[in-house]
Amino acid sequence: MKPIPILALALLLVLAVPASASTGGGIVGDADGDGVLTSAEYASATLAYLDAAYMGGTGVLDRTDIQDAAWVYTYWDGRPLTITDSSGKTMTLYRPLRRVVTFSGESLETLRSLGFDMEKVVAVDKYSHEKKTFFPECQGKANVGSVWSPDMERVLSVRPDAVFLYATISVSACDDIQKRLEASSPNIRVFRFDCFKPATYAGEIRTIASMIGRKDRGEEFASFYESTMDRIRDGTAGVPDGEKTRVYFEYWYDYTTVSAGSGYNEKIGLAGGVNPFSVGTTEYPTVDPEAILLADPEVVVKLAGQGLAVGGYAGHDPEALGAIRSTLIERPGWSSISAVKDGRVYVIHSDILGGAQHFIGTAYLAKWFYPDRFADLDPHAIHQRYLTEFQGIDFDLASKGTFVYP
Amino acid sequence: MLSIPANRLFCIALLLLVVPAAATGAPVTRTLSTAEPGAGEVFTVSLSIDGVALGAVVETLPPGYTFVGTDHPEDRVLVRGQQAGFAVMNDTRITYSVRAPVSGSGAAITGTWEDFLSGAEGVVAADGIETVAMSAGERPASQEAAPPFAVLAAIAALLIAGWGGRR
Repeated sequence: MKPIPILALALLLVLAVPASASTGGGIVGDADGDGVLTSAEYASATLAYLDAAYMGGTGVLDRTDIQDAAWVYTYWDGRPLTITDSSGKTMTLYRPLRRVVTFSGESLETLRSLGFDMEKVVAVDKYSHEKKTFFPECQGKANVGSVWSPDMERVLSVRPDAVFLYATISVSACDDIQKRLEASSPNIRVFRFDCFKPATYAGEIRTIASMIGRKDRGEEFASFYESTMDRIRDGTAGVPDGEKTRVYFEYWYDYTTVSAGSGYNEKIGLAGGVNPFSVGTTEYPTVDPEAILLADPEVVVKLAGQGLAVGGYAGHDPEALGAIRSTLIERPGWSSISAVKDGRVYVIHSDILGGAQHFIGTAYLAKWFYPDRFADLDPHAIHQRYLTEFQGIDFDLASKGTFVYP
Repeated sequence: MLSIPANRLFCIALLLLVVPAAATGAPVTRTLSTAEPGAGEVFTVSLSIDGVALGAVVETLPPGYTFVGTDHPEDRVLVRGQQAGFAVMNDTRITYSVRAPVSGSGAAITGTWEDFLSGAEGVVAADGIETVAMSAGERPASQEAAPPFAVLAAIAALLIAGWGGRR
């Protein structure tokens, strides 16, 4: 065995890891500052930590430092990670996310899909906090309010090193939170992701997966998501415009529909539907009841779930969704609508159409719009797999929750 | 036949012998090449590492023992006084050698480990007769539940010790 030149090595180690390496921009342990934590530099950093922690040395690396160095060495190949979030902002990360605050339930859900250690989420938005069934692990976490009414004092009190905000909705509110956070602590990294838009979700999955060191899991989840969305797109690709299914989609409120620019309208289009009320100046316009009769929709879809009151993850209540459907059918004049005559009136809960689970709801829409084309598509099975395999929650759709009717 | 105090002592000794040695599941376990090194003898210490990709082990030698060398890469070893620190980088075994003192012996090598990726840490589990020298308080906190045989033996030893004490 080789003898160790003890003193010389110890001195070299202490000198090799400068104090500046432990804080600020740069990877912990990157002694030469070239932006790459090599195997030798990592080993040197480890010994410097042991020297300080166990042997009475005067090194500057603490346990958090060396754990971060090990994490970067393992998951980012010893290099900083540069990402671009959905607001278009490019950031370089030198350390893993340790204390995360989410103002977006969609980002929170996506983090869980990717297998992020939920213990590292130290605070969540008020809506996620209210979802006791879906986010049971968040009940004990700090509640930071909403993007419209944030509890900034509480946010700062949990000492976050990363905060997730929306990218393209509630922009001014999120901008304001970001400014206040960055003014309070420049070390807080603010990420802007939507995690509910079909056009950007797969990319967001992969970006967030890289950030948390779960690239493989991210690829697996993104592939699962894309396989469903691609199946829907492929299934409707050959439908001529003139033959597309005519759909009246009613928002939570009676006689309120959705128009171009709304996420729900996008999903109707993805599923091959045509919304006769898509042209409008507002996202959620009120429609004349007579106009619905004149449009004679082939399919009617009613959105349920306002205020977490009925169905969804909150409770198994098919009768409640059935009652909503009955009310629709009994509206004056509706017996003459094709959708009613053909029994194609459906109720869907916003839990599976409006957020990160939009691909599940969109699969239901596609199946309702084109039952023959999507005979082999099983949204229920997709939903169950999502909950069991990716969300990791014990939720049996056979006996819990109500998401569609009939 | 053993006297009552001697009987109790024997059972407690059996307990200390059986439980640590039989316990399994600790990520880092130490094995010595000899249980009773002679005066000035150089013996080998092997650390078996399971499931710690990036971490560290710090071993503390008893007074009088000296670190001689290791097969671990030089740039991943730090020795100061009675302590030797090893950077673990996907290693499954680390071996080092120690020289016993010319006179006096009996204390045990102790050690701690850290897993930097999981954040877990614990005491290096000792394998072999060397564990007898450890007190109950020094037993590895990280060791998982001992196998059923060890548990039964421990319970039996405790019962016998307690029963002997009441007579």
